[in-house]
Amino acid sequence: MTAQPAMKDLNVSTLVTPTTGVIADVAPELSGMLRVLTCGSVDDGKSTLIGRLLWDATDLFDDQRATLERGRRVDGGHPDFSLLMDGLVAEREQGITIDIAWRYFDTKTRRFVVIDSPGHEQYTRNMASGASHADVAIMLIDARHGIKVQTRRHAAILDLVGLKRVVLAVNKMDLVDWSESRFRQIEHDFRTLMWRFGFREAVAIPVAAVSGDNVAERSKHMAWYTGPSLLEHLEEIPSRGTEPVGAFRMPVQTVLRDSRADFRGLAGTISSGTVRVGDTVVDPVSRRSAKVQRIATMDRDYQEAVQGQAVAIQLDTDLDVSRGSVLAAPEAAPVVARTIEARFVWLSEIPFDKRGSYLVRTATDLVPVTNIEIKSLLDLDSLAVHPATACKVNDIAIANVALGRATAIDRFVEAQETGSFMLVDAISGATIAGGTVTSASPDIQQQDNVFVLTRAMLARGLSSDIANTPEGEAEFRRRANEVALLLRSAGVAVEVESLPDYVI
Amino acid sequence: MTVEISHLDLLEAESIHIFREAAAQFRKPVLLYSIGKDSTVLLHLARKAFWPGKLPFPILHVNTTWKFKEMIAFRDHWVKEFDLDLIEMTNHEAIAKGVNPYDYSPSIYTDIMKTVPLKAGLDQHGFDGAFGGARRDEEASRAKERVFSFRAEGHRWDPRRQRPEMWRLLNGRLGAGETARIFPLSNWTERDIWRYILREKLDVVPLYMAAERPTIERNGQILMYDDNRFPLKPGETPVMRSIRFRTLGCWPLTAAVESNAVTIEEVVAETLGARNSERSGRLIDHDQVGAMEKKKQEGYF
Repeated sequence: MTAQPAMKDLNVSTLVTPTTGVIADVAPELSGMLRVLTCGSVDDGKSTLIGRLLWDATDLFDDQRATLERGRRVDGGHPDFSLLMDGLVAEREQGITIDIAWRYFDTKTRRFVVIDSPGHEQYTRNMASGASHADVAIMLIDARHGIKVQTRRHAAILDLVGLKRVVLAVNKMDLVDWSESRFRQIEHDFRTLMWRFGFREAVAIPVAAVSGDNVAERSKHMAWYTGPSLLEHLEEIPSRGTEPVGAFRMPVQTVLRDSRADFRGLAGTISSGTVRVGDTVVDPVSRRSAKVQRIATMDRDYQEAVQGQAVAIQLDTDLDVSRGSVLAAPEAAPVVARTIEARFVWLSEIPFDKRGSYLVRTATDLVPVTNIEIKSLLDLDSLAVHPATACKVNDIAIANVALGRATAIDRFVEAQETGSFMLVDAISGATIAGGTVTSASPDIQQQDNVFVLTRAMLARGLSSDIANTPEGEAEFRRRANEVALLLRSAGVAVEVESLPDYVI
Repeated sequence: MTVEISHLDLLEAESIHIFREAAAQFRKPVLLYSIGKDSTVLLHLARKAFWPGKLPFPILHVNTTWKFKEMIAFRDHWVKEFDLDLIEMTNHEAIAKGVNPYDYSPSIYTDIMKTVPLKAGLDQHGFDGAFGGARRDEEASRAKERVFSFRAEGHRWDPRRQRPEMWRLLNGRLGAGETARIFPLSNWTERDIWRYILREKLDVVPLYMAAERPTIERNGQILMYDDNRFPLKPGETPVMRSIRFRTLGCWPLTAAVESNAVTIEEVVAETLGARNSERSGRLIDHDQVGAMEKKKQEGYF
């Protein structure tokens, strides 16, 4: 803890940042943001397409432009756009389990976030995790080859994680002589495929990434195509966060207090819908409700807040809710579930283990799992479902999950953020699978020979040394949970006697 | 119904969400504070996340003793103003042995003066999660970084331990010996940082603004002569130039740019039209191929 020498001669008044007060002209805020997933293989020209977008649509830095120009010689006239995306040193040697690369660029009005997942054979989990962050997917195909089995797999994965907007970029149109009939055939196949999944919006655009035709600017080679360029189309898609959908939900992250002002704010990010001061909201688990008294932030109070905003909500009566609760609109509250049916993308290299100890992490809750029953696996090629009891990396499984206690959860189709979850390994902490809830039930799944670990049992021996204090209670719960984990890993189906407010 | 939300509002909300999530999931987090513009934004967002409460964690600054004087003055001012709990870490043993940025290569210097005391600080206090200001747009090797980035024992970054992240869900449950780095600014760009500083009217270290300062030009880069520890080569004398800094670190390792931008707006205007991406002004990154990636594996941010 030493102080720097010669500090005293600096006056604090020199720390005030000089300003001219003119902000708007210098740094206009962008009016929106769009996260774009790119799927397709390197052979389809994916890196080239993204590089081309960056080159044409934005003001790249000089050193980045120089990097591209260095590739010009080997690429017959055009800068090597793929270098922008493939810039990682020793990318393969890194061996990151799930690879998603994030790139950012601005057009005049909008921030684009390009989420790129490599198209090698392990792509299912990469794509699924990438797609879960995206607003729209660009599916890239080679005009010479048309829709392939891979395109269908991609669509199935996008559907699984709830991505509802897709663009088919039919690339390398220059190599099919800019043929309209070729494009129309592919467009027809694509539409047929999209119907099957019920995508909200599916558009096909003929492009040539290398020469930039229909990437940022309209092509001069395809007069028959009157639609927008890829960039024009992306600019028209509603920005992230501007379309609040569904009933109000706010998973509570933490409770903020100000003793001086008698403030107790339930802090969280509104995950769906809208909330106004005066609205009645409910805590589904306790079934108690209260009125919103204040929607507060450090900057100002709001009369109304929408999906995506991070706020602190003060209620007119104290509901005694804390982290893990979901504040909701009373007329359309989440299910308080003990059993859920879900679709998983298995992310871990370690296969499903019937005797493993798992936890379910919802928006802000962490719930012990008492049993997982794999029912079937989805075949991405045929889109058929086959009965199964095992599950390994890159599998998409349909399963029943029995929870150790009730938690508020939605069906994914109704509310994505409160209807999705992670499966976590209780011992290593690793993220095992990403899941979406297809149905949720308040009933406890029937299971034979469930051993119930009661408070009395624990108090008698293992926890007889614990004092009756809040710290003691926390320690009591910690031990109860550890015992349950050990028993489960020994193959015993076990439940801990209901401990209210229990958060691991 | 359509709502107007600017991209900065979206980024701000996301960062606040990450702060709250990490503070709830980790037992004993800490905010790594480096005094620069990204740290300024990071601290501001942390205050927003826990307002009206106090920050529920301390801030940790690794002081190499080669930081610009104005940086330390700035730090101390805001620590007092915001009632922050500051932990300062310095590798006194190395200083006593004469380690300095002139006689040691940037990578060795960084390891001894930054990485070693950083790890020591985290270990001594038992911090299990450390907030940092790293952004994915900074450098290619960071483009794949997670929001919650896990470190094995010894703070090693092990690619196989990095966890997939889906939707807005964040999983901070630690395995044995693990700690985490938390990056609330993951999705911000350099431009966003400046735009946000302007919008929120945040004060930054005056070194970001141009002023007449004593300088030495070496290998085509302008260095500031901050105190008489600067070993001058024969024929070198400090020359007054109007300069400012795009990033702040140890003054012998941080190159300046010539500029007349004396207000924050002028700086932003200059930055938004900048012709070189940010880190090209940092000598530390040019030291070896994949320098940042290697430093990360060794436990540097």
